[in-house]
Amino acid sequence: MEVLLGITGKDFTLIAASKAAMRGATVLKTSDDKTRSLNKHTLMAFSGEAGDTVQFAEYIQANAQLYSMRNETDLSPSALAHFVRGELASSLRSRKPYNVNLLLGGVDPISHKPSLYWLDYLASLAPLPYAAHGYAQYYCLSILDKHHHPDITLHQGIKLLTMCTDELKRRLPIDFKGMVVKAVTKDGIRDIEFDDDKVVKAA
Amino acid sequence: MSSPFSINGGACVAMVGKDCVAIACDLRLGLQALTVSNNFPKIFQYGEHVFLGLTGLATDVATVSDLFRYKVNMYRLREERGIAPRTFANLVSSSLYERRFGPYFVSPVVAGLDPKTGSPFICGFDSIGCIDFAKDFIVSGTATDQLFGMCESLWEPDLAPEDLFETISQALLNAVDRDALSGWGAHVYIIEKDKVTKRLLKGRQD
Amino acid sequence: MADRYSFSLTTFSPSGKLVQIEYALNAVNQGVTALGIKATNGIVLATEKKSNSPLADPSSLSKISLITPNIGMVYAGMGPDYRVLVDRARKVSHSGYKRIYNEYPPTRILVQDVARVMQEATQSGGVRPYGVSLLIAGWDEGILPEEEVEAAAKPAEEGGEAKKLSGKTGGILKGGPMLYQVDPSGSYFPWKATAIGKSATTAKTFLEKRYTEGLELEDAVHIALLTLKETIEGEMNGETIEIGIVGPPADHLLGVEGVEGARGPRFRKLTPQEIEDYLTNL
Repeated sequence: MEVLLGITGKDFTLIAASKAAMRGATVLKTSDDKTRSLNKHTLMAFSGEAGDTVQFAEYIQANAQLYSMRNETDLSPSALAHFVRGELASSLRSRKPYNVNLLLGGVDPISHKPSLYWLDYLASLAPLPYAAHGYAQYYCLSILDKHHHPDITLHQGIKLLTMCTDELKRRLPIDFKGMVVKAVTKDGIRDIEFDDDKVVKAA
Repeated sequence: MSSPFSINGGACVAMVGKDCVAIACDLRLGLQALTVSNNFPKIFQYGEHVFLGLTGLATDVATVSDLFRYKVNMYRLREERGIAPRTFANLVSSSLYERRFGPYFVSPVVAGLDPKTGSPFICGFDSIGCIDFAKDFIVSGTATDQLFGMCESLWEPDLAPEDLFETISQALLNAVDRDALSGWGAHVYIIEKDKVTKRLLKGRQD
Repeated sequence: MADRYSFSLTTFSPSGKLVQIEYALNAVNQGVTALGIKATNGIVLATEKKSNSPLADPSSLSKISLITPNIGMVYAGMGPDYRVLVDRARKVSHSGYKRIYNEYPPTRILVQDVARVMQEATQSGGVRPYGVSLLIAGWDEGILPEEEVEAAAKPAEEGGEAKKLSGKTGGILKGGPMLYQVDPSGSYFPWKATAIGKSATTAKTFLEKRYTEGLELEDAVHIALLTLKETIEGEMNGETIEIGIVGPPADHLLGVEGVEGARGPRFRKLTPQEIEDYLTNL
């Protein structure tokens, strides 16, 4: 029941991930951050098998940071997405593949173009205007299909995100304990205040 | 349903015309019944007149297309010439058979024109590289059955480029409408001796 | 433990020379002369078959070898080293090419593969350079020299044809006869005509005089025999001379008839009888 959401707009990419850390039917933590920043303008959210997720995400994070230190320049979101795909693809045919699904969002450091990449544990890669992972896909993609436009503002993006989380609160059988929301703009990655306490009643 | 070949869905078809060939694919990327993207092309160009269509598991479509980009670039640097479609087809075959006991889950289609004679060349493969040479058309993907039906009824010998475009487009569009796992737009390439035309078909977005 | 001592035997001298390679060239220059001449429609490779005993069976000795149906090879220098290289050339033309592309390598690719084998022997641990120079002759599919001349003669308006001659990487799509020399260092050179071995200098001077542009294969065989005659030590006959030619497809060597599109090998060795015939017309 992990939720990952990503929305691009005119000059930003929004990444949101549920705060609940679960093991079986138990919620172990209600303030989990399922995102890692890869560099100043690229953020990655992850879900999947416990252990694999953080291990893989931090491996990617370390490699992205190593690249930035060695070359005194950051990799673009596109380059990082393809790097992650390569790692995931070779993992897929190894003895114990990583079971991790990812959203990779960012803003190009040069052209300032926002981008969002959807990756699943099979290393399928798709650049998308908006994306989700897990059960959230079934509830949110149709909402986003209807209301998303490529040139929305950050404010509109957050409203759109709220529509999605409201629907998830309404329909998901388990409380996902609200969302960590972050926005990537040309100025970097920023935490977004998000009202988790809003009660949404089923219709 | 959980066959690796039908997780992501997708369709591809190639046809021979008079002094031209055509290759077309749909644009859907899905996860079972859920559509994730409607912009996932499955045709890749490896030379002036050499095209490869890849359907099957999306991750392997990406991996295999990248692999051949590497191999064809190395070939071009080594031999100081572009690869011919027939040579490329044999490269595809031997590369896939190398993974005989852990195959890439793709069904490739090659289409092109012979650089020397300009004669059309198409062929298809299974996932371990067995080549299927054809004089008329090759189909692959989750809409294979529907594509066979459409091609059998629409295709005729010696179609001119414009007629071939119409034929392959109608064959693909109508085939994917009867397949839940493919569709959502299409790319069509018409390959002629001194011109390659790429057209984007919007298609049904449902 | 063994690999601790497998440093390269070929090391630079203070003056910047690799003397092992020069010694290898000395071995080549003591070897029996071999020559190659490129014609418009083919290539001839020729050498002398020397045996130091009248009891030797000359028909069992072979210095010119087929590598692929369209490529052949001859050497000057050490026979055993040559046989190793023939083996490697035949092997690499399959494992590195035919089994991948289902077609035989073009001459230059084969030459580069053999040259790499020879170069590696100058830099690897525990080995010595090959004591041979090679002449490699082959026929490539592609635009023939005469077609190229035609295309160049055409005015520029038909840009299509002129464009075809070079690919995007500035490469050449040239076909037709190809003649290369490969040395122990791993360097290789394309030639119109050349000679290697003991009397290479004499033979090359002779070839410079006799070679003309637009040579036909028959004339090339003739010139090859004349050149050999200048340098040969023993008697010249079908038993003591060896000739390999790259010519038109020899469909009679195919072994089958009636297979559509099947082409015989372009490279073949002349029989002693054929050589005798050429010699009587000399």
